[in-house]
Amino acid sequence: MSATPRTGWRRLLPRTLGARLTLILFTGLLLAHALSFVLLFSERYVAARSMMLTYLDQDVAVSVALLERLSPAERVRWAPRLERRTYRYLLGPARPGVPLTSDRAREVTALIDRSLDHRYRLRARTVSTSPERFAVELTLADGQPLTLEVTPSVMPIARWLPVVLAAQLALLLLCAWLAVRLATRPLVQLADAVERLDPARVHPPLPQEGPVEVIKAATAFNAMQARIGHYLAERLQILAAISHDLQTPITRMKLRLEAMEEGADRDRLIGDLGQLQQLVRDGIAYARSTHGATGPAVRLDLYALLDSVVCDYQDAGKPVTLGECARASLSTRPPTLRRIVENLIDNAVKYGGGAEVGVRRLDDGRVAVDVCDRGPGIPEQEMQAVLQPFYRLESSRNRDTGGTGLGLAIAQQLAATLDGELVLANRSGGGLRATLLLPVAPASTPTLAR
Amino acid sequence: MAHTDHILIVDDDREIRRMVGEYLQRKGLRTTLAADGREMRAALDTSDVDLIVLDVMMPGEDGLFLCRNLRASKHRNVPVVMLTARDEETDRIVGLEMGADDYVVKPFSARELLARINAVIRRTRMLPPNLQVTEAGRLIGFGQWRLDTTARHLLDEDGTAYPLSGAEFRLLRVFLDHPQRVLSRDQLLNLTRGRDAELFDRSIDLLVSRLRQRLRDDARDQTYIKTVRSEGYVFCQPVVLLGENA
Repeated sequence: MSATPRTGWRRLLPRTLGARLTLILFTGLLLAHALSFVLLFSERYVAARSMMLTYLDQDVAVSVALLERLSPAERVRWAPRLERRTYRYLLGPARPGVPLTSDRAREVTALIDRSLDHRYRLRARTVSTSPERFAVELTLADGQPLTLEVTPSVMPIARWLPVVLAAQLALLLLCAWLAVRLATRPLVQLADAVERLDPARVHPPLPQEGPVEVIKAATAFNAMQARIGHYLAERLQILAAISHDLQTPITRMKLRLEAMEEGADRDRLIGDLGQLQQLVRDGIAYARSTHGATGPAVRLDLYALLDSVVCDYQDAGKPVTLGECARASLSTRPPTLRRIVENLIDNAVKYGGGAEVGVRRLDDGRVAVDVCDRGPGIPEQEMQAVLQPFYRLESSRNRDTGGTGLGLAIAQQLAATLDGELVLANRSGGGLRATLLLPVAPASTPTLAR
Repeated sequence: MAHTDHILIVDDDREIRRMVGEYLQRKGLRTTLAADGREMRAALDTSDVDLIVLDVMMPGEDGLFLCRNLRASKHRNVPVVMLTARDEETDRIVGLEMGADDYVVKPFSARELLARINAVIRRTRMLPPNLQVTEAGRLIGFGQWRLDTTARHLLDEDGTAYPLSGAEFRLLRVFLDHPQRVLSRDQLLNLTRGRDAELFDRSIDLLVSRLRQRLRDDARDQTYIKTVRSEGYVFCQPVVLLGENA
């Protein structure tokens, strides 16, 4: 699988849809959560502040008036009782400090001044910055200094609140992950199914279940798969019909030619007819080869098969020999394998003047059936092209070998139906080596019925 | 030899029928032409037929159907050569399973057909049809082997297939049809000759030794094929029919 190269910021994006969706949802949720956290805090802060200020306003006036009335001895008893969460009354001068550092401190000082009706001269200073603490000193009527030490702070939040928020976030993330999975899994399944799709093989239909959209996609895919199978079957039917309809006139022509008087024209016509016949046969064989082989796989002794094929050629007087053969037994469809090997040998005999067949065992567990000749070989740049149907090398056309250009294409298609592979290579010292690579394990899923 | 072989040609194509008939007549055979199953049955009822050339693809009753019916009728012993349109393994197998003795693939040449006709007649003359065990069953057992007559391979006890070459298969079939009978080299050569008869230049001795190797028959023990000095060979294992035709 290849994708277009990603440039710029896109490179930073995660590659999978699932990861991208998760990223979007996660970022969104995180931001939303942070925002509500900030809102909660600022609202709380504003509320707490205004509450503190209102309270301070009334309380300070009453407390200072009270302390003013009490005797110094009683003041000592009462001062701690007037203490509040954010401020306390100290009987004595303020600790040394610096001039007020914050607007808040100045505001509170002004407020105190106002609630005391500006009857006292206030001396305010910041005594501590962390935590912020400032002192407002005034002198009572009897000359005793009184210090209001303010530690402005917002009410601490409950300890469970962050935990709840974190739990909430985790819950949302889990839901997001589930949703992403729900959305992307059918997509992945569909992509897998499309990738596996091989028209020549029977596949179980995709399960049509889940959300409506998924059912729709699966149904569409199954319909497409069925349609492809139908087209292939139709193509085969048409080819079969054409083949049958061509056989009869060709047979008639052949019989008629044989009844004619001998002569050069008759021989030429017989030759032409033979080519026509070969083309029809190969065309049908090629159409069938893409459709997979029939018949069950059986355990086969590879040496016996190759030896019997070579013997057939030798009995027919063809220069075909069996070279070094590693023993191997594999599960395969013998008629299909036989046809592949015969095609390769035919090719070698036709273009290379003879064939030598051999078997090697590869390190990856596969077996390689080699069909070698000492012919002209194939130019490297045409090595792939010769596997295309109806492709013929210029040298072959010139020599008028009578080939149809389908032999190797058929062999390659049939090799694929056996889960095998056809590889061509020029030999050192001249000639071609056609190698059929076969798995030893049984051939996979049954192929589509004809 | 006063007898002239009588060939019945059944094909729905008039031209092919006529031309095949004329060719065979020129080659000294007597011919009758039939366009369909009805005419075929009529010809069989009125005269003695030595062999039927039967087209597979015919409208109405096709060749496979006619062949199967023929095998169930009183003319069951008449040999049949099928004309098939497709050179497909399965078609060949079905044709042979329906009881045909041999087949020729269209488009065929008349010479090729004549060679097949002669080979089949020769074979049926040399041995009574009821002895042709290899025509009757798909699976034949002997010794530690089984022969699959349609796939043309041997199966060992584990079920592993050992394909046979065409000549080896034909030779083994002759032996299996004549167990415990001494067969001369001439007889074997005659019965084993295949469709490439003129190209078959290997001696029977060489072919027998090749078949022995396939059967893993030790040339000294000779548990399957025994050499009978100056006479020929004999197949000395009992032959069992394991699977009937469908």
